[in-house]
Amino acid sequence: MRRLRPVLLGALCALVGIAFADTGRAQSPTGAPGQTVVQRGEYLARAADCAACHTPPNGQEFTGGYKFSLPFGTIYGPNITPDKATGIGDYTDDEFVSALQRGVGRGGKHLYPAMPYTNYTLMSREDVLAIKAYLFSLTPVHAESPPNDLSFPYNQRWGMVFWNLLNNPDHRFRPDTAKSPAWNRGAYLAEALGHCQACHTPRNFLYGLESGRAYGGAVVQDWLAYNITSDKESGVGAWSDDDLAAYLSTGHAPNHGPASGPMAEAVDHSLRHLAQSDIRALVTYLRDVKPVRTETPPPRPVRADALGERVFREACVSCHLLDGGGRQTPYAALQGAHSVRDPNGTNLLQILVRGGAIATGGPTAFMPAFGGAYGSEELAAVANWTIGHFGQRGGAVTRKDVEAVPPPGPASAARATPGG
Amino acid sequence: MLTLSINGTSHQLDVPDDMPLLWVLRDVIGLTGTKFGCGIAQCGACTVHLDGQAVRSCVLPAALAQGREVKTIEAMAQDPVGRKVQRAWLDVEVVQCGYCQSGQIMSATALLTATPKPSDDDIDAAMAGNICRCGTYVRIRDAIKRAGEA
Repeated sequence: MRRLRPVLLGALCALVGIAFADTGRAQSPTGAPGQTVVQRGEYLARAADCAACHTPPNGQEFTGGYKFSLPFGTIYGPNITPDKATGIGDYTDDEFVSALQRGVGRGGKHLYPAMPYTNYTLMSREDVLAIKAYLFSLTPVHAESPPNDLSFPYNQRWGMVFWNLLNNPDHRFRPDTAKSPAWNRGAYLAEALGHCQACHTPRNFLYGLESGRAYGGAVVQDWLAYNITSDKESGVGAWSDDDLAAYLSTGHAPNHGPASGPMAEAVDHSLRHLAQSDIRALVTYLRDVKPVRTETPPPRPVRADALGERVFREACVSCHLLDGGGRQTPYAALQGAHSVRDPNGTNLLQILVRGGAIATGGPTAFMPAFGGAYGSEELAAVANWTIGHFGQRGGAVTRKDVEAVPPPGPASAARATPGG
Repeated sequence: MLTLSINGTSHQLDVPDDMPLLWVLRDVIGLTGTKFGCGIAQCGACTVHLDGQAVRSCVLPAALAQGREVKTIEAMAQDPVGRKVQRAWLDVEVVQCGYCQSGQIMSATALLTATPKPSDDDIDAAMAGNICRCGTYVRIRDAIKRAGEA
């Protein structure tokens, strides 16, 4: 029953949502004067981070093929260039609006909620069509995505009818007149466009969002999307406005470490393109998100770890420095990084084993993959030492945790020798 | 087109933004005193100064050095601290094969510029990550202390 409760609550919210559907007019981000619909659509497509899931790794933007590994199978983000055969070239306005607001694509095909239409549904029709105008201004590219591979019953698209009843409110964004314009703008950016909750809110067993723990943090595709509620301890309540703004727009803030993994991608594809006024609006909104305390086991004492320290001195100090200050770029700073304060080292292990990279307009800052070079015992030891030394808590990383991370692919290995 | 200031000279360079600085130094400009060791910031042979701080040039995208002063081993004879370090290196006869030594001297010079009288811990922290296949570490520590007293 405890697990069912959020579902029932979601259903109730959905019904209430239907009752109020289409009553309010969404607040659209305003463009610069003289901006064309296509330009506005491009900005909105960036804010909605379409590129993240519709661009293949190291491939051409919006041509599809991005892989989602879900607990019940694998699906691929499709080609959304205006190619008629493999893309969205045949979509009418109404069909496109239906896909984004109701999760029902051309020919009545139900989309899977990896496509965040439960967020996009909040977008106004005008904004949705601006995005369509932008996508249709792109060169059509013929690119077929691999077929989805989902287990029963998840491969039954019609089943989404019931899921949608529970989880898709299907109503447009309604400004809260009691809040400031900046708050409302931030809410629209976070909820309708940026779909921050898609990663940062835990999901129930039906893959619906646990609205009671909105922004409370969740593990998505092996990465921990952190608690970004206003809770001072578990969330970002203790961050300054400037730090939050810097992190969102550059993927880095002093004493908070760099963004990595999917968040680095979100900064690269989406957030760094936003106007500062919109970044500030997001900060205003995040500040007001209900605090959620993440329940964590009592901290373990930090233990001396000779192997971990030795590996760090050998392999890590060159870029990170012994004090964690970061040598090469500010992105190499470990001090205050969230990844080294997580005793399980969820994200730390991903970066250690598979490497990491963040591009923020300039050249890519990257960390080579160490999965092929060091054994699991050494990597577990260096992860625990790093968590103890910089996070001031006992790490709980085991060899098994390291071995559970897939080894680096050829792409990340190639990153280790740029130009070489 | 990048503009880099290297050893006090401004260079206009037609190179990709993400070309590692080491490639620019050695292959484009011809400053071969800085060595290629591992290419993944694990050995320290490629250490240069960026605004006085020791960095690994093999993983530093050239564009990140724009607007900042790059100094290489070739400029250390003109640097007051670099000169003292090189003198001490000769006095102690640190070098065996020598391949890692330009990187060692760059790290030692950055350390002594910031901390003129380093403790053993300071030396450990600053020189960690500069490895030497010949095992000259004891003489390196000795020479750093000697340079600090000079």
